[in-house]
Amino acid sequence: MAAPGSLVILFFFVIPLAMVTGEGFANGGSAFQKVLTDPIFWKGLGGSLVIGLTAPTFSLLVGFGVALHLSTLSERMRTSLQFWISLPLTFSGLIVAYGFILAYGRSGFVTLGLAEVGVDPSRFSGFLYSPVGLAFAYSYYLIPRVVLILLPVLVNFDRAQIRAAQSLGSHPARAVIDILIPQIMPSAVNAFCLVSAVAIGAYGTALALVGTQVNILPLLLYSRISDTGTDFPSAAALSVILLTLCTLILAAGELFTLRRDRNVPVA
Amino acid sequence: MSLTLENVNFTYPGTTSGVFDINLSIGDGELLAVIGSSGSGKTTLLKLIAGFETADRGRILLGSDDITQLPVRNRQLGVVFQTYALFPHMTAWQNVAYPLKIRKVPSETRERKAVEALERVGLQGFENRMPQTLSGGQQQRVALARALVFAPRALLLDEPLSALDASLRGSMRDEIQRLQREFSISTVHITHDQEEALSMADRVAVMEAGRLVQVATPRELYDHPATRSVAAFVGEANLWDGKTVAHDTVELPFGRLTTEPHGLSTGQPVTVLVRPENIGIGKATDGINALTGAVVRDRFLGAIRRFDLSVGPSLVLGQTGIRGPIDSINIRPEHVRLLPIQP
Amino acid sequence: MRFVTGLYLVYLCIPIILLFVGAFGETWTNTLLPTGFTLEWFLELWDDGSFRRAFIVSLEVVTATCIFCTLLAVPLAYALYRSASKKIMAAARIVFLLPIAAPPLVLAFGFILVFTSDALPWLNSIWLLIAGHVVLTLPYLLQTLVADMRHLHLDTLEQAAESMGAGFFRQFFDVVVPLLRHSLGSGLIMVAALSIGEFQLSNLISGFLYRPYPVVLLQAFYGSTGFACAATVILLILALLASAGGALAARSASQYRTHRS
Repeated sequence: MAAPGSLVILFFFVIPLAMVTGEGFANGGSAFQKVLTDPIFWKGLGGSLVIGLTAPTFSLLVGFGVALHLSTLSERMRTSLQFWISLPLTFSGLIVAYGFILAYGRSGFVTLGLAEVGVDPSRFSGFLYSPVGLAFAYSYYLIPRVVLILLPVLVNFDRAQIRAAQSLGSHPARAVIDILIPQIMPSAVNAFCLVSAVAIGAYGTALALVGTQVNILPLLLYSRISDTGTDFPSAAALSVILLTLCTLILAAGELFTLRRDRNVPVA
Repeated sequence: MSLTLENVNFTYPGTTSGVFDINLSIGDGELLAVIGSSGSGKTTLLKLIAGFETADRGRILLGSDDITQLPVRNRQLGVVFQTYALFPHMTAWQNVAYPLKIRKVPSETRERKAVEALERVGLQGFENRMPQTLSGGQQQRVALARALVFAPRALLLDEPLSALDASLRGSMRDEIQRLQREFSISTVHITHDQEEALSMADRVAVMEAGRLVQVATPRELYDHPATRSVAAFVGEANLWDGKTVAHDTVELPFGRLTTEPHGLSTGQPVTVLVRPENIGIGKATDGINALTGAVVRDRFLGAIRRFDLSVGPSLVLGQTGIRGPIDSINIRPEHVRLLPIQP
Repeated sequence: MRFVTGLYLVYLCIPIILLFVGAFGETWTNTLLPTGFTLEWFLELWDDGSFRRAFIVSLEVVTATCIFCTLLAVPLAYALYRSASKKIMAAARIVFLLPIAAPPLVLAFGFILVFTSDALPWLNSIWLLIAGHVVLTLPYLLQTLVADMRHLHLDTLEQAAESMGAGFFRQFFDVVVPLLRHSLGSGLIMVAALSIGEFQLSNLISGFLYRPYPVVLLQAFYGSTGFACAATVILLILALLASAGGALAARSASQYRTHRS
């Protein structure tokens, strides 16, 4: 019964990726040499790492706050708020891009609004077109992912534990740090890694927002594939690097969760 | 219909756990409880009878019909699952009618029979309820009705009371027993609760490490356990290791006890069992098996009182209705049971 | 914490509201908000042949993707659920994560390499587009279905049906299919939402004849604000409908889940 589905995944997922990898290592890896000696690559990697750190950090901070708040609400309230918060999960990256242009672009609503109180519009909107700004835009659909991962852990967390810690002489803040944080840590790390991998691999929103003007790896790869005079060997090498980066980050998160699972008794 | 297991062996692939050399027969209309700690193989035994696993060796007979290799669906056995396994997308009566639907019973008969079956378990008026809106006890009753409605050849109960509150368990015990008698159906009842087994079953089978250790009536099991572990598992017990020193005497860490003539050779290592309720309070008039000591723990349980008496290096657990101070006890020789020593 | 949620909801709503406002505004250049009210942008969109064609292509792709996903995911999810093997469960976990571990951009490049060869010259065909959408969305559907099967304790329910005499097909059609209807429904809505908004893969593998809506939409961003807003709002409305539908389906799916210890 698993055969048809597995075959489709093999044929349209595994084989194309294998081809990309094969192409990257063709000619004894000379494509890698070419890519690694290109200063633009290092700039792109830098930009991608900035996104890969800021987007998940921002998403995790906001997501944790929102999830913590939701976990204190009644189930009914929580379900309806959860509906609104999950909306961006079904949004195309293009919706987010144009929405952000309208809000934070050069003549965006927020930009012009802030101009009234003396914020320089061109400097403010310039921020949106930097890697950090992109991370801010990506967070639009990354935060819901974080909330959905953290919420069940926070809802199931037995608050009596905090009271117990206090009865044992712990300061409330200390109790949160000693009791709550370690318990949500595995999920938080998992969410961080997942969101980071998504942010590093995505290009749709960025392309719509800034064209190929910002130095991040996916946009670099995109221009190598789509521009005239396409350079397939170095595109393949870039693909392999991007693929490895995303996979490693994701694997790190998974391993962290696995380690936790082993400590939890089977229900 | 009677159910017979002949030399049944089964090992989970790639492990050493399973059940071994099971010989067991359940008479027509008999209720047999299978008890044992978790991992003792009792659930495996049920799976083999139900057909969810197939024995590596041996035969399982229903009446004279060999069902060892028969697929589950053709075995005609009613199974009540630990989690009840009610179908959440069907109402109570649809659940009960489902086995009849499979047997192509016409729909009017089906509905009538299902409603009747629900009435028999005391659920009239609940026909159209969805399972998740019913309480644990009610779900249990639906599961029972569903398992009985198609007149199965035997009934298998897999820890049916373990998901219920303690307060409900007693009444469900009586209910299951009543239905089992009413339908006069051979029943295998798997449980880890020895009290449940003793109070409900005609006979009790004790399993340990995949093997049957003893199959006996509840009374026999309590009074004459086959091994030290059975004695410890069923009810409260004083168990002391010692050796025989005469045809009617054993030597224990705290002294000698007179027994009835035991027929064992002298010097044989034995385990001695005395049930707490058989500890007599006060000095024996004939001076036989009189012991003195001090109470080190005293538990008042309302109707009775349990105490630990320290006698020499040992503790004697006793049970009595007497409330006054206790410093001497006695044990009648017929209450001293000798069991083979266990490594 | 309430404050964080409040701020977040503002952050969430601003782009959505501005898109709607822009789509109905007459002119919007260098002002805080547009002036005037008009339906002109939507009429213009309706008259635009390339947008209409793209919309139809998108609908075709979404429908085909949902059909193929159902046919592939239900048996595969069932097989994954039934296999007790730890290795297979680990493999399943990897499949669930594939679309994240392998960015659609890289996959698109793989498609270009494989399907421009003489043996498989399928690039730019609608079928390859559908295949791409299927592999990108299949993992989500699989995950939904396997999770639901676990929640429902489907194996015990099947054993119960079997003990009452139901054979494989009866178990499948009397128990498995009716129970999974709702989670399949909500899963497919998610698939449809992802497919209709998919840009990253489609942008590189769709040919001129079969460009789906989002790919054409990107061109509109370089034109007038009102038109771009209206074109985006169409996609936004579809996403909102999908979310609402998904929430309803998820609610009916949860009614079968009983909490068991």
